[in-house]
Formats: sequence, C-alpha cells, structure tokens
Amino acid sequence: MDGAIFPLRASAETRQVRFMTAGSVDDGKSTLIGRLLLDSGVLMRDQAASIGDDEEDLAALTDGLEAERAQGITIDVAYRYFETPRASFIIADAPGHEQYTRNMVTAASVSDVAVIVIDASRVEGGALKRQTRRHAAIAALMGLDVIVAVNKMDLISWSQERFADIETAFADLAGVLKLSGVVCVPVSARRGDNVVRRGGADWWRGPTLIEVIEQSRGPATRHDAPLRLPIQAVLRDVTSRFYVGRLEAGSLRPGDSVVLGPHAYPATIASVRIGGRAVARAEAGASVAIEFEDERDVTRGDVVAAAGARYARAVVADVCWLDETAWSKGRRYILRQGTLETQALIEDIAFVHDIEDFSRREGASSLSLNDIASVRLVTRDPILADVFTQSPGTGAFALFDPQTSQTCAAGMIREAIT
Amino acid sequence: MRLAYKSDDDAPVSGEASPAPVRVSARLERLEAESVYILRELSGFARPALLFSGGKDSAVLLHLAIKAFAPQKAPFKLLHIDTGHNFPEVLAFRDTRARQTGLQLIVRDVEDSIRRGSVRIGPDGSRNAAQAVTLLEAQQEFEFDALIGGARRDEERARAKERVFSHRDAFGAWRPRAQRPELWGLFNRHIGVGEHMRVFPLSNWTEADVWAYIIQEQIELPSLYYAHEREVVRRDGFLFPVTSLTPAENGATSERIVVRFRTVGDITCTCPVESEAGSAEQVLAETLIATVSERGATRMDDRANSAAMERRKVEGYF
Repeated sequence: MDGAIFPLRASAETRQVRFMTAGSVDDGKSTLIGRLLLDSGVLMRDQAASIGDDEEDLAALTDGLEAERAQGITIDVAYRYFETPRASFIIADAPGHEQYTRNMVTAASVSDVAVIVIDASRVEGGALKRQTRRHAAIAALMGLDVIVAVNKMDLISWSQERFADIETAFADLAGVLKLSGVVCVPVSARRGDNVVRRGGADWWRGPTLIEVIEQSRGPATRHDAPLRLPIQAVLRDVTSRFYVGRLEAGSLRPGDSVVLGPHAYPATIASVRIGGRAVARAEAGASVAIEFEDERDVTRGDVVAAAGARYARAVVADVCWLDETAWSKGRRYILRQGTLETQALIEDIAFVHDIEDFSRREGASSLSLNDIASVRLVTRDPILADVFTQSPGTGAFALFDPQTSQTCAAGMIREAIT
Repeated sequence: MRLAYKSDDDAPVSGEASPAPVRVSARLERLEAESVYILRELSGFARPALLFSGGKDSAVLLHLAIKAFAPQKAPFKLLHIDTGHNFPEVLAFRDTRARQTGLQLIVRDVEDSIRRGSVRIGPDGSRNAAQAVTLLEAQQEFEFDALIGGARRDEERARAKERVFSHRDAFGAWRPRAQRPELWGLFNRHIGVGEHMRVFPLSNWTEADVWAYIIQEQIELPSLYYAHEREVVRRDGFLFPVTSLTPAENGATSERIVVRFRTVGDITCTCPVESEAGSAEQVLAETLIATVSERGATRMDDRANSAAMERRKVEGYF
C-alpha cells in the first residue's frame, strides 16, 4: 500500500518476536503502535481508511473496546500482529494508566522484551516520570530486557543534549533495578521518524526502533538449562502410555535418564514424539509425547526433570497482587506451577516493594490490587524450587482464589527455604 | 525453539513411526507447539466441544487437535451451529472430515431457534449474530464445559483483547473489563456450575500463518477457498454471490468471474474476492501482498459498525 516501507510482507520463514509496550496515552504509545502497523505495511486499506497523519487517528487504530474509547484510555491488554521481511511480531499492548499494573504484568508474562515509551518533551533535567520508573521496575521484576522509545523528539527539535540526559537518567535507573542491556532510541511516532523509517536527526547513527526490536533476544536461551517437562495428561493406545507436556527448559532424547517428582524416582526415556512422529531430540518450547522404558506412575502435575531437581514446601517469592479483592491472611489459595495445582498459604510479608522510589516497606500486613511484595509462601505439596531468573518456565506461579476462581496473583520464586 | 531430526548417525528411534521428514519454519513450530499445549490443557474438562464449521480456521484447529492427542482419539465432540445459509460444498466437507476423524458431529440449527422464538431475525436477514443464541442453547443442552474455537486475535479489534482461556458466566456472557489476567502458560481452568470456558488455540496465528500451515501440513479445505467461476453482482466494492438465497436484485446485472473466498460464513454476508489462486501456495502469495483485511474484504456483518464484533461477543458470539 502507499507509504508502506515493505511492499512484501514476511514469509513463513522468519523468527517471531513477542514484545510488550508500556507508556501512557500522553507518551504517545498508541500512536507509536499505529505507526509500526502503518509503516510496516501490515495495516490493511479498510483498517487504515480513516488514517491521516493525525496523531489521534493513529492512536485510534490500537484502541479496541468501546468502553475504553469512550474513556479515552486503553484498559486492557490487546494483541497486535505485524511483520517485516526479517521477523514477525506480536505486540502485547499494556495500558499506561497506573491502576492497571496488573495488565502490564500479564502482558510481560507473555513477552520476550519490553518497549517503554516516554515523552521526551516532558522530561526536565533528566527526571523520569513516576510511571516510567514503575514500568521499568515491573520489567525488571518480570525478567524482561528493556528498549526505550524516546518519543516526541520532534517537539524538542531533536535535541541531542536532551536525549543524552534521558539516556543517562535511564542508565541510572537500570543500575538501581539491575536491568542490563537497556537500549534508548530517539523517535517521533507522529512523524514516523526512526520508527521503521530513518529520519529526524543527522546525529543519530544508531539503529531504528524496529531494528532494535528485531535483534532483541528471543526465548531460545533455555536449551542449556536442566530439563523441566511438566506433564499435562496421559494418553493411551492399545499397548502404550504416552505422557504429554511442553518442555519448559532443557532438551530431551530417547535413552535419557531423568527423575520423576519430589522423590526423584529414576526413569529412562524410551521415545519422544512431536505431532505423532518420533524424533531424535526435542528442545525447550516443544510440545512432546514421551514413553518410559518401564511402567511409571506419572500423572498431570508431575514433572519429568534432569537429575538434581530440588523441591521445597516453602519459598521466598515476589508476588504481584492482581485481584480487586485483597489478600486475606490465613486464606489458602490455589497455586499453579507448571501443570501442578496445590494449596498455598502466604505466611508472611517480608516487605512491599515501592516501585516508585524502590524502597522496601516493611511490616506490611495487607496486599491489595497492584501491590508487589516479597513473601514467604508455604505449600501443601512440594513444588519445584526453581528460581525464576534461572528457569522462568517453572520458577513462575499463579495464585487462584478457591471460591471466586479469580486469578489473584503472579508469583516469581526467588529462593527456596530448606 | 528448534527441533532436531533423526539423521543416520543418531541412535535408532523406537516405535513404528518414521522420523519427521520435513523441516518446518521456526515460527510455525512455535505456534504449533503453543496450540498443542493449549489443546492438551483441555484434558481436565468433562464435556469439551470443538466448533467445526468446515471453514479453514476450524480445519486447522481440528488438524492440531488430532495431532495433540495422537495416538489417542481427540477427546472432543464436534459442534456446528448451522445458520441454514451455508454453502453446500462447505457442509459436505464438514461431514466428510468429521467422518474421517471418527469424532461425533453435533449440528444445531438457527432455524430451530427461530421456530422456538428464541431468535428473531433483523431486517437485514443475516443470521450470523443469531448463531450466538443457538450456540448457548447447544452449550446448555449438552452441558459443554469448554467450547474450543478457531478465532484469531488478528482478525478483528475486539478479538485482539480476548484471552486464550476465556471465562463465560452462567449467561454465557463475555465481560471484557472483568477478564482474568492470563499469566505465562499458567491457564486458569476453573469454572463454576453452569459456567463454561471458551478456548482459542489459534489466538496468536495470523491469516498468513494459517495458510503457511495449510501448505506445510497439506490440510484439505472446501473447494471454494480456491479459484472457481461464480455468478456475482458488484455493489459497494463487494462481490455478492448470486445464489437461491441471494438472487440478483431487480435491475442488477450479474456476471460470471473467477473468484475465491477468504472466509466462509453465512451466505448472506460473505463475499468472495477476485482471484486466480488455485492452490494454497498461490493463496498465501496473495495473502502476503493483500491490502484489505480478511474480514474487511468479505464480511458485511463487521462493516456496519467498528464495535459490531464486540457487541456480538458480549452476547455470546464466538
């Protein structure tokens, strides 16, 4: 279509990058997403019919629901799809509005990388907005790499000095949060400069925003980690039993020695299948069906693991509270880790993270919507004592309310208590 | 994620199945693995049904469901809500495919809901929105606790906000503002009495992904997805198929041209596009350079209002 940078969209032979976007309406986040869709040529003529180069029109492309259009804010996580010749992308668009932290956590959990949008014209003397600090803190907590789109550069005449101030401010923030590899890119989403097309400043020698996203680290870094295969179900045919699940970490071959469950029963893998076909090897991310050499008593919730897997009934974890109903002390929640569901009790809140000044509020006795806290949690059944930063697939858990069935918390294991 | 395939110097693989013969793209591999994982999460449900219309997305969904549970039979019934306005070749394909899989096919008719009085058809005559009523009636009749659909988030803006496991209350209503957060792959499968779950394994697929997968897996589709000659009337930039249900209006001139359908739904609101693409490869090539979205090109029901889909979904539509 007219104005598209890529006349031909990607073929099936490309990698896929899943990223989330964070920022407020005022930062121009929706405009930026509209620009990515428009300039990558994925936007269809009927969807683009109302589009001028107007900022509101670009933003309107990405605001989905009637309710939020009426309020002028994005209230939920929406997913967008676009492609360049080098990669295909899934955007999890998370809202910037403060009260919707839970949606950012949700979006982060299904993303490989976070793009944080900030309004350069409103950063004075390198002081980042509270909300930006909050977004960076959540990205750090959830283990995502961060790309910063320094937007509205046209409004400050592409001032190299002010961009450098923002870069410095973000580097300081990254230091505090222990975020590594943060990349800042100056852009104007409204004008389309340096988003997909080059433009704007002569002094900028770095990549465009889309180039940085394309090169971001994918999820394919878990192959070398120890095997973790949570079992989803047991399938049977006349003569055999197949145990199915998705490899959350590591790899698997016929003949491998593995251990089952907290008692570490040894077992040997007889075959590995993907889509009904036997394969010689499967790696992290694959959905497999396996057979054991000898009959084993394995059921949904069990984990097939490499020798050395540790289990615990008590862990230290960060939890983000996502439910309107606050946490009740003494209440037993349903905990899901991998495919296991068991009961869990938050025994003690060590401290609540203040994600604006990054201080620790000790002595807290309540947890309500959008609070993030370090807690001590005990479980009825032993759970894998995997640390989130090393094994995100099994170091993460969710809490469900046993009565309302709401999803009330996202959790990340930081250490096992043995 | 990358798969490694058997080579000559690998240890012999036990079992009768042969090693995977084709190398597939990393992107389709990731999507397939994710969809299979989602489908296998249905194994705890007592009465799950897979919505199968014979359309391309449901054909891909059925293919994935069979793969996910091989060598066992997929633990789903097939359900089709028939508006009574479907293309005959699609219904024939639906029946053939269901028979091949050995899965029980349940068909419920919008016509019956009209007779019962639970559905009244609006002045435009379209029965597409009425499907929601019949669908919920079928859900209650069979006490289905999960309905699996082939809807994709890239199709439409309201669908872009949909969860993979999407909770429906006892009225079957979708409440977009009260959706459960969906974390990692840790799906919340809990439902209360009378409630059910809508499950969308193709959430992250695009139209191009679906066609690339149809090519890779050699999935059969109804013939009207490929170029064929058809009598149509041109109006408002759309091509209206001339059928016994939709005769050419007085004064309208029809013509016979070569077309194909990008989506297949109710005859009264589904239009073909001009195309010579006679194979899945040719359709994919056209899809990659298309300038009008799949539903925008072909669906009258979404065109009336940009919020049309959201309203229908709230009322129970897929």
